Amino acid sequence: MATPLHEDIYQLVREPINMAELARHVRAPEDGATVTFDGFVRDHSHNRPTHYLDYEAYESMALAKMREIGAQLHEKFAIHRVAMVHRLGRLEIGETSVFIAVSAAHRNPAFDACRFAIDTLKRTVPIWKKEYFEDGAVWADGELPPAPAATSRAKPAS
Amino acid sequence: MLLAPSRRAGYNSFVPSVSQSIRVKVLFFGRLKEIAGRAEEVIEAVDGSTIEQLFSQYVTRLPELARYRSSLVASRNQEFAAWDTALHSGDEVAFLPPVSGG
Repeated sequence: MATPLHEDIYQLVREPINMAELARHVRAPEDGATVTFDGFVRDHSHNRPTHYLDYEAYESMALAKMREIGAQLHEKFAIHRVAMVHRLGRLEIGETSVFIAVSAAHRNPAFDACRFAIDTLKRTVPIWKKEYFEDGAVWADGELPPAPAATSRAKPAS
Repeated sequence: MLLAPSRRAGYNSFVPSVSQSIRVKVLFFGRLKEIAGRAEEVIEAVDGSTIEQLFSQYVTRLPELARYRSSLVASRNQEFAAWDTALHSGDEVAFLPPVSGG
């Protein structure tokens, strides 16, 4: 069941995401389903019209976290291939910021894995967006990733 | 080897060495980058410092950072890390605001 991650794609890009190509990449003759998630820029935030968004990332860590999510997907779900791409930089309304495609022999694991992937990405991958409005800009409210509370290292009693 | 002390002298030694300094790379993102006025820098810290102590060092310089402390997570070498993690020379540390990708 375990599929090597090397057939997967994990990328941060600064150009428009080629969704068709990624969806094609994950498809194979032994599969029966592909589920994709297309996250794109909404024209409003908290009832204010958005002009555009600017994304930045801790790139090395973000890629490592995306690959970790991929490894979890292969462990948890009976899936075949994963493509997970996030775009950085300035994005206009309607442009795709994140795209995920998961293939599997059957639809249920593909749906479940795709859902798990986007939910986990939003919670744990160090990427930030700044929302630009007519009258200013704000860093979007985000989620605090779960982090270890304290090291398990024995402490000097001092 | 059999007679080696159970705790090796080093960064986490019980006995602090004569305050040697280490160099760590610190990265800033999102609003912290704006407050710090830079994306990264290499700074000196006391050997054995924790991430928390490093952050305090920054608060001294940039008091505005203090109010973000409770809404940050720390990372060391691209892994989320506890604030009491001890730093080694050459470590890459980041203070990460709540993430908002997607």
